[in-house]
This record gives sequence, structure tokens and C-alpha cells, in this order.
Amino acid sequence: MSDPIAQLIFLIIKAILMPVLIVMMVAFIIFFERKFAGFFQGRVGPTYLGPWGSFQSFGDIFKLLSKEDLIPAKSDKAVFRLAPYIIFIPAFLVMAVMPFGPVGGQANLFGYRFDYVIANFDAGLVLFLALGAIAVYGVVLAGWSSNSNFSLLGGLRAGAQMISYELAMGFSVVGVMLMANSMSFVDIVNGQAGDFWHWYFIPQVVGGLIFFVATLAELNRTPFDLAEAEQELVAGYLTEYSGMRWGIFMFAEYVNLVVISGIVSTLYFGGWRAPLEVLDFIPGPIWLFIKICAFVFLYMWVRWTIFRYRYNQLMSIGWKVLLPLSILNLAVTAIVVSVAG
Amino acid sequence: MGLKDVVKKAAFVDILRGMSVTGTYFVVDKVTVEYPKEKLQTYPRFRGAQALLTDPATGDTKCVACMLCATICPSQCISIVGEQTPDGRSHPATFDLDLTRCIFCGFCEEVCPVAAIVMTRQYELATYDKNDCLLDKEKLIANQVNAHKELYALTEGAAPAAVRPASADGNAGSHGR
Repeated sequence: MSDPIAQLIFLIIKAILMPVLIVMMVAFIIFFERKFAGFFQGRVGPTYLGPWGSFQSFGDIFKLLSKEDLIPAKSDKAVFRLAPYIIFIPAFLVMAVMPFGPVGGQANLFGYRFDYVIANFDAGLVLFLALGAIAVYGVVLAGWSSNSNFSLLGGLRAGAQMISYELAMGFSVVGVMLMANSMSFVDIVNGQAGDFWHWYFIPQVVGGLIFFVATLAELNRTPFDLAEAEQELVAGYLTEYSGMRWGIFMFAEYVNLVVISGIVSTLYFGGWRAPLEVLDFIPGPIWLFIKICAFVFLYMWVRWTIFRYRYNQLMSIGWKVLLPLSILNLAVTAIVVSVAG
Repeated sequence: MGLKDVVKKAAFVDILRGMSVTGTYFVVDKVTVEYPKEKLQTYPRFRGAQALLTDPATGDTKCVACMLCATICPSQCISIVGEQTPDGRSHPATFDLDLTRCIFCGFCEEVCPVAAIVMTRQYELATYDKNDCLLDKEKLIANQVNAHKELYALTEGAAPAAVRPASADGNAGSHGR
């Protein structure tokens, strides 16, 4: 078997295995979200289905599948059906460019070179930002096509929120881009080689915090979940969705949570690298998994602690605080990098 | 906004304090009582479904069919037909209590001169059949196993063994663990 064919087979295996693993992970993350929601409030969360209630998600999926799939009579039916997938697919695509182990090194499997990344894409960061921008179309279109006031307001809010926070997010990421001198996730992780004090979250602490806050908005999670503010908008853009079509939105939200956690750990926390070089004997995918779990937990912790911001507060944080700070961070990083490097 | 506030916001002081509060709740003992598996202890004056207590000496109800409970009942859910026993005592031939009308005010227990009708700690009254809510004399006497401890002790040994549940050792379960 020649090397290109082996690479192709590896690629297919990776491309199948990665989404399957994420789907399994998401099923349990939804369970843990509910369990931890209980814990953070002094309750016990779901306990019935399976040990500790851990099969709760599968029960939920079964329930959603057995529900009637309602499509409002006056909705734009084609767009209404399309919208969940516009959110769902970009979430998965980002995983293709995220390295989960060494790339281009001596790593090999059955004597063939094995890259721990699906696509070693030069402009991975740009792809990530672009796909994030596409995903918001799903929310906006879902809100618009539902032909409901609540949905439309939710969709508009999501659109406005995304415009405000994507800017700060983009600028804060440029800092990492300058330090790694590359837009590729693989190079960014290679730039953080070594013990944990080589990771970018120390020089890029401001950018990292801005990025984290912006991802909260990107994920539509509390405190920035204005697009589906229950107390004001019923369920925002999800109001008219039911059954498994609603489930896909829910699912995409959590796939996004995993992916964004992976992006944060890749950009600022060394990706698949061990925190200390002596721990390198533990393979990269496991470190990435641990970091993703840690960030998913952090997102849940933030969600069940902080209240939703008011719309004008959201806008003033985005435009008056995060955007100027991220530009300042970019300027300082650019000066330091050009002087020192 | 002073410099102090700016520093506080930049360091996420308030948010971190909030997260420490939720983090504390994450690890402390949970307050949930998982109801069907574990039950709260009812309070000593809890007013659940009624019971007729029996006289340990005769094994029959203590009720003398004075009709006070039927009279005071605000929702008129008690109906009694009295009769004379051969030894000349007054005695209820039938004693019917309609729980679908009962408002669990406890007046019947208060007014009873012989402490025959009592409110119990039995609160699990959900049923598929409405007729289960129509309590006759047999059902009311059988329900005395659920009477509050000190009242049930008065009739201890008199209750028919068949209707006594396996765990009739006073109030089962615990309050708040």
C-alpha cells in the first residue's frame, strides 16, 4: 500500500471517527449540563435513567423523535427546514482543522505517517471565524422563517449580538495569529511548545479573556442568551420549532460548545500539548479531551452563575469595552512582536 | 465610575464571587428529597385523610354516632347513620366520608367528644378510581394505622393485623435526611 492511499484511508477514518466521538460526547454533555445545573443550585439533577441518570439524553432523544413535527402554516417552509442544518454543519466543520495530536512529525501508525488532524489548513483561523459567521444565519433565518414575532425578535437579537461580538473576537484572535506568525491551528499549537508557561494565555491574557467572553455570546449562552430569553421572547428563534427539528438546534448548540471549548484550548491553552513536558507520555488527544471537558465545565459554571445582561448592557459591553480593549491588545501585541521578534 | 470600580470589573471580582457561591453549592449536600424513594416526615399535627380509632377493649370503633362531626363539617362530607347496640349504646351503623369534598380542616377531629375520628399523616391519596375517595367505616378503621404515633398508641394491639403495613413502626422516612 503506497503512502497516498494510506493517507486517504486514515483521512476517511478520522473524518468518520471525529464526528461520531463528538456526537457521543455531546449526548453526555447535555446530561452533565442538566446534572450540573442541579448541583449548582443545590439539587441532584436527573437520576432515573441509567446509572446516575446518565442515559437521560437518550431518553430525551427518544421523546423528541416521537413528537409531532409541526411546521407553521404561514412559515417559509423551505427556509424553516433548512435553518437547523445551517447551524449544525458549520459546528462540525471547524473540528476538521483542529489538531488533536502532533502533525507532520515522526508519529506513525502501522508504519505510515499519521497526522493528528483532519485537514492541515493554512487559514484555519479564518475558516473558524467564517463558519461562526455562517452559523448565525441559521439563527436569523430560523427566526425570520417562523413567521412569529418572538422568533423574529430572537433572530434579530442574535444577528445584532453576533455583529457586535465577532469584531472583538476577530481582533483578539489576531493577537494569537501574530505571536504564532500563522493562521493555521497546527502552527499555533506548535508555537506553544513546551511547558504551560509557553502557552499564549499568559502573554495574551487580555485577548484570551475577550475571546472567552465573546465566545459566550457566540454560543448564545447565559449571560448572553438574549436570542432565546425565555422571560421575554418565549424561546426566541426556537419558539415555532418542535420535535427533533428543535432537537437539532439543541444538539448544534452543544456541538458548538465542544468545538468552541476546543478552539479556546487550542488558541490559548496549548491545544493537545501536556501542561508539563514530563507528562508528554500521555497522548495528545487525551490532553485535548481533558482541556475541552474543563472548558465545557467552565462554560456551564458561568451559565448557572451569571444572570442575563440587558440588551443595552450587552451592546455597551461589546462596543465600548471589548472592542477597544481588543484593538489595544492587538496594537500592543503587534508592537511587542515586531520589536522583540 | 471610579478607578476602584474599573479595577474590580477588569478583575471580574463580582463574577468570581458569584462563581464561588455556585461552586460551593456544587459540592455541598443537596437538599432534594427524591420523593417516591424517600419521604419527608409529616409534622405532628399534619391533617391527612381521616381515620376512625378503635377501642382496644372491644376492637370496634370508639364512635358513638353523636353526629357532631357531621354537623360541624363545613363541606358536609360526613354522613352517619346511628343505631342502638343490644347493650343500649349508641353506635354508627354506617360512617361515610367523602374525601373529594373534604377540605382537611380538622374540625371533625376537634369536635369529637370521644376522640374517635382523627386526622392522620396519610397524604398519598392520588387514585385512578374516584370511588377510592369515598371512605366507609371499614376503610376509615383500616386507616388508623396511619394515625399520628401518640394517637395510634392508644389503640395499639387493637388494629386488625391484616391491614397493618409491614413498616407500621410509627412515622416512616426521615425529615430532610
